[in-house]
Amino acid sequence: MRHFEDIVVGEKNRFGQYLVTREEVLDFAAKYDPQPFHLSDEAAAQTHFGRLAASGWHSCAMCMAMMVEQFAAAGHAGLGSPGIDELRFIKPVYPGDVLHVEAEVLEKTRSKSKPEMGSYRSRIELVNQDGVVVVRFTAIDLIRARSTQ
Amino acid sequence: MSIYFEDLEVGRVDTFGRCEVTREEVIAFAEKFDPQPFHLNDEAAAKTFFKRISASGWHIASMTMSMLIKQVHAEGFQAAGSPGVEDLKFLKPVYPGDVLTCERTILEKRRSEKRPNMGVFREQICAYNQDGVKVLSWQASVFILVRGD
Repeated sequence: MRHFEDIVVGEKNRFGQYLVTREEVLDFAAKYDPQPFHLSDEAAAQTHFGRLAASGWHSCAMCMAMMVEQFAAAGHAGLGSPGIDELRFIKPVYPGDVLHVEAEVLEKTRSKSKPEMGSYRSRIELVNQDGVVVVRFTAIDLIRARSTQ
Repeated sequence: MSIYFEDLEVGRVDTFGRCEVTREEVIAFAEKFDPQPFHLNDEAAAKTFFKRISASGWHIASMTMSMLIKQVHAEGFQAAGSPGVEDLKFLKPVYPGDVLTCERTILEKRRSEKRPNMGVFREQICAYNQDGVKVLSWQASVFILVRGD
């Protein structure tokens, strides 16, 4: 089980494989982000997307799915996240794309008020099958420590 | 009615939307995109600061987006997508049974230098629960068409 002590600043990981399906793009957009370019090819053709593209929030959610899968595989004493910063929707995500995640740990800090836990910041990149970064954000994650010092 | 760049009032605050958070949807979203134990079952959540099952942060952001898009459509906002989001904060847990509303503040606006038919505005988005507690916030830049008359 990975704890605060096991987080290594500078460590890079590449993981996950997520096939973006048309059905899921439409389903997510209908529920949470019903903008025309996330709902139909015809409407998207009139925008810079060119064709049906996934909601940015959907892309984030797919990224999260791969991150949690990775946490579970490695064992991870995670305690949730207070937030995300510098979230960039860099390129469109299209049905048929196959995404993976590239993560780098930027820094870690033990909590002063609760030394049994700490937080760490990572740069998270969602990358498509052509090696193009489509979404990037900085994640802040809380994690249990193995000991209080 | 349509709202173009020229119509945006910096400093204006609007409150809108109503989103009932259901247990089924919290679990369905978490199973698909964020299957951390505290989003999936009360027993696991009881051991964390969440205390009981709570919605994924990405789910809260997505529900907020759904309220925002409904509003933008009703207002006829000529918005044309967003390059990104800053400072997405998951401030308080969101639980099944909560009812969320959305608040939007227009922070600033400017014409696009590259695209003369386009402007950009920055907005602060907040979600509140039924007790008036702020549960989530973010800031976004959004492109909007210029009326140009």
